[in-house]
Amino acid sequence: MSRIFISVLLSSVFITGAAFAGSDPIKARQHLMEDTRDAAKVVGGMLKGEQPFDADAAMAALKTWQKTATEAGDLFPEGSETGHDTEAKATIWTDRDGFNAAMEKFSTAVDAAIAAKPDSLDALKATAGPVFKTCKGCHEGYRVEKED
Amino acid sequence: MALAGFLLLLGTRPSGLPSNIFPAHVQDLSNGELLFHAGGCASCHSSADADSELPVLGGGLAMETPFGTFRVPNISPDPDFGIGEWTQSDFITAMRLGSSPDGRHYYPSFPYASYSRMTFEDLMDLKSYLDTLPWAQNRNEDHELKFPWNIRAGIGLWKILNLDPSDVIVMPPDNSLLTRGRYLVEGPGHCGECHTPRNMSGGLNNGRWLAGAPNPEGEGKVPNITPGAKGFADWSQDDIAYYLESGFTPDFDTVGSSMVEVQENMAQLPAEDRAAIAAYLKQIPALQ
Repeated sequence: MSRIFISVLLSSVFITGAAFAGSDPIKARQHLMEDTRDAAKVVGGMLKGEQPFDADAAMAALKTWQKTATEAGDLFPEGSETGHDTEAKATIWTDRDGFNAAMEKFSTAVDAAIAAKPDSLDALKATAGPVFKTCKGCHEGYRVEKED
Repeated sequence: MALAGFLLLLGTRPSGLPSNIFPAHVQDLSNGELLFHAGGCASCHSSADADSELPVLGGGLAMETPFGTFRVPNISPDPDFGIGEWTQSDFITAMRLGSSPDGRHYYPSFPYASYSRMTFEDLMDLKSYLDTLPWAQNRNEDHELKFPWNIRAGIGLWKILNLDPSDVIVMPPDNSLLTRGRYLVEGPGHCGECHTPRNMSGGLNNGRWLAGAPNPEGEGKVPNITPGAKGFADWSQDDIAYYLESGFTPDFDTVGSSMVEVQENMAQLPAEDRAAIAAYLKQIPALQ
């Protein structure tokens, strides 16, 4: 009984947490994109030969991307079109199917990369390369280019 | 005043190039293909619904601008709908002088102000390459422009003010890397058409060469790509070349918006041409 109570209590804490994050979806997605880019730096540094290959660090980066793929789609609700200097383009809301399809390509490529468990630089190139290609899929039509 | 205006327009009527000024040239299709990518021809002229390995240049894209809607023409080699019937002279006249075989001015939405810097040999190779591409059998609607931009004769004045094929930036003539980079950027690559702001007459403000400009397609900004603090100050030459090859900035942000297609065209160039572009961009005046 008390166990159920505690799990209910815990889940309500998590739900509240999620709702809190959801109350500011623009900030939440901006943080998510920063994490995504940091992970890209790790993998990209290895692919460029600036960093030695590290299977654990690569997998951690892939998992970060998976988190993005899972969460990002929900962070562009109606009403979050403007504010916080967002770079989200109006096309996300006028062409949601296209946006979702682009996200889905990213998600599929990330899942495949994780399933492949890359254990060498060549394996990472073969699996993370296709993920990198999908980044542009959203940034081409659904992001406004602003100055940093 | 009206008479003077009439005479001025008369004096700015389109004219072709005499064919005897072209050099003897052995066609080089791979060079033509390189220039096709450098020029980004497919980015505007591709048919939206084409199902082909090779580019199908049927046009049809509607470019919404403050002047009205421009519709991109069919430049496939189809003799009836495209430019298959054009002679080398017709093609070079279009690319360097912005005039059609039937003697009309083209609007500068076709970036001939940049293409005017291309060599005869390169233009001949590009035309030969275009002739190898699939035919597209579609006719596109005309431009729908607002007054006074719907008067083509006015483009003659625009050309007097803004059509100047000389180099924008002085580079050491004996440095083949920098002069090659300048040629690609200022000529076929037509980078300045978006990255340089325009003056009152709609020509490029070369005093702000590549220093960034409002996005002609709407919101956002086309970035500064000079070595200035808001441009490439923190990027090495290799960073720029890598970006053109991969689409990734040194911070592993990605290329976005219309630059995606441009970058993918640049990725088709030989590595030494990307290096030349990067070297040139690090050498031009740093503007804020």
